[in-house]
Amino acid sequence: MKFFDPLPRLKPAEECSCGHQHAPRVGDASQAMPVVEVIQGEVAFNGTPILRGVNLRIPRGEIVALIGPNGSGKTTLLRSILGLQRLDAGEVRLFGSSDLPSVMSRVGYVPQKLSLDRSFPLSVREFLALRLKKTRSWFWQTPRTIEDAIRPTLVEMGVEPLLDKPIARLSGGQLQRVLIAFSLLQEPDLLLLDEPTAGVDSPGEQSFYEMIGRVHQLHQLTVVLVSHDLSMVYRHASWVYALNGVICCEGTPEQVMNADSLKQAYGIHVAPYHHHHHAH
Amino acid sequence: MLTEAYMQRALAAALLLGPVCALLGVFVTARRLSFFSDTIAHGALAGVAIGIWIGLTNLTIPMILFSLCVAAAMIWLKENTELLTDSIMALLLSGSVALGILILSLVRSNRGELHSYLFGDLLAIEWQDVIIAAVLAAIVAFGLFRWLTPITLMTVNEDLATVNCVNVRRLNYGFVLLLTVTVALSIRLLGIVLVTSLLVIPPAIARPLSVNLRHQLILSVLAGFLGCFGGTVLSWQLNVPCGATIVLTCITLFIIALIFSKLRPRLIHPSP
Ligand SMILES: Nc1ncnc2c1ncn2[C@@H]1O[C@H](COP(=O)(O)OP(=O)(O)OP(=O)(O)O)[C@@H](O)[C@H]1O
Ligand SMILES: [Mg+2]
Repeated sequence: MKFFDPLPRLKPAEECSCGHQHAPRVGDASQAMPVVEVIQGEVAFNGTPILRGVNLRIPRGEIVALIGPNGSGKTTLLRSILGLQRLDAGEVRLFGSSDLPSVMSRVGYVPQKLSLDRSFPLSVREFLALRLKKTRSWFWQTPRTIEDAIRPTLVEMGVEPLLDKPIARLSGGQLQRVLIAFSLLQEPDLLLLDEPTAGVDSPGEQSFYEMIGRVHQLHQLTVVLVSHDLSMVYRHASWVYALNGVICCEGTPEQVMNADSLKQAYGIHVAPYHHHHHAH
Repeated sequence: MLTEAYMQRALAAALLLGPVCALLGVFVTARRLSFFSDTIAHGALAGVAIGIWIGLTNLTIPMILFSLCVAAAMIWLKENTELLTDSIMALLLSGSVALGILILSLVRSNRGELHSYLFGDLLAIEWQDVIIAAVLAAIVAFGLFRWLTPITLMTVNEDLATVNCVNVRRLNYGFVLLLTVTVALSIRLLGIVLVTSLLVIPPAIARPLSVNLRHQLILSVLAGFLGCFGGTVLSWQLNVPCGATIVLTCITLFIIALIFSKLRPRLIHPSP
C-alpha cells in the first residue's frame, strides 16, 4: 500500500540498458520543468571513473529511490546534484537553473554521515536553530524563542523530547530524525537523503517512511533517497533508479525490482520482489 | 604590582588574548585543529630567527608572517596532495623548527632571546603588542559572533554548511587567518612550546560543566580569562616564565571543573 499516488510522469518511453522498453511515465503534453536534471554527468577520482555519463530527470512531487551496490557512486551522485562534487563533464540543473548555489535555499539534505566530534556539546535545539533566519542569533535568544520558531517541525518529526540533548550523543535513529527535521525546517522543495534509515531499527524505518510520505503529501516536495532496503523502496518509492557507474535501469518499483534488472545493477543474483505481497 | 608598567602591559595582553584563544579554542578542538595550531606556533620560530637575522627589533611581524606562510603551505599541501594531514603537519613543524635552529646558530644570537620565545616572557611585551592584541580581540570577537551560525554549521558538517549557503572555503580561510594571528601573538606570552594549551585547555575546562554550545563558549571565555589573570599574577610573584604559570593555573581549573562535574549529580541527587 502506497502512501501517496505518484504524480503524472512526463518522461517519454526510453530504452533502458536492461533490455526492455519500460512503460512511459504518464503525463500530459505540457513538458513541465524537472526539479532535478543531470545530463551526462561524469566524475572520476584519481583517474578512476565513478560516474560515467549519468542521466537523471526527476519531475516535481515524486519520491525517487536511488539503489545500487556499495561504491556504485550513489553518494557521489547526490553530492554532484548539490554542487558539493564538481562534475568532470556534464551538467546538473536544479529547478531549471545550473547556478546551484542560488537555489540551495530550496533544498534540504541529509548526509550519509556527520563525523562529528563526540565531545562537541551542540544541543539539538541549537543545531535546529542554525537552519532558520529567525534564529540566526540563537546565542542571544532564549530557549523558548528558538523552540517556538521550530515547533511545527519538531512535532512532525517527534524530536521534541530530544531538544536539550547534545547531537553528538544521539542514537543513530534519533540523529536521523533530527537531521531530517533540520532539512525540513526551511520548507524545502527538494529533499535529498543519503541512506536516511541506515542503522535504524525496522519499526523506526517503517515510521520514517510513513513520515516521509506524510511530509511529502503535506509539503508537495520532491524526495530523492538512497537506500539499500529494497523492500522499503519497493513499497514507498514512486520511481527507482538503479545505479552502477551509469543508470543501468530505471522505472517504477514493479519494473525495476525483478531479477533481470537487479542482476544488471548488482552484478549478482538478487531475489526478485514478489509483487503479490504488496497490493497496489 | 600594577604600578610597574611592564606588568600593566603583560596583564592587559594576557586578559585580551586569554579569552580570545578560549573562544577560538572551542572550534579549534571541535574541528580537530589543535595540532594545526601547534604547527603554526612552531612555524613562528623560523620567523623569529629570520627577524633576528635581518636585524629587526620587534619580531612580532616576522613571526606572524612566517606563521601565515606555514598555514598557507599546510592548506595548499592538504588540498593538492594525497598526504595524510598528520604527516603534512609533522613535516612543516619539524621543517620550520629546523630552519629556525639553523639560522639562529648561524647568526649566534644570545640564548636568552630564544628562551623567551620558547617559554614566554612577561617583560618582552610592549605596548605595540598590546595594541595589536586589542585590535585582534575585537576582530575575533566580532567575527566569531557575526559568523557564529556558519562556523558552527561548518563544524558539524561541511557539506551541510554548503547546502545551507555557507561559503565553506572562504570561511575556513578566514578562520585559519584569525587563528594564525592569534597564535603568533600569544607566543610572546606563553611561548612556542605552550601556546596551544591556551586554545585547548579552556574549552576542556568548560566542557564537563556545559550542556550546550552556548554554555561552553561562555564558560570557556571565563576560564581563559581566569587562567590568564591568575597565571600572570603568579608568574610575577614567583618570578618564573608566565607560560608555565598560566598553563598550570588552567590545569588547576580543569581539575576543579572535572571534580565538580563528577560530584554534581551526587550533590543534586544524593544517594541514600
Ligand atoms: N573524495 C573521494 N576521493 C576518492 N575516491 C572517492 C571519493 N569519494 C568517493 N570515492 C570513491 O568513489 C566510489 C563511489 O563512492 P560513493 O560513496 O559514491 O559510493 P556509494 O554508492 O555511496 O556507496 P555506499 O553504498 O557504500 O554508500 C567509491 O569507490 C569510493 O572509494
Ligand atoms: Mg553512499
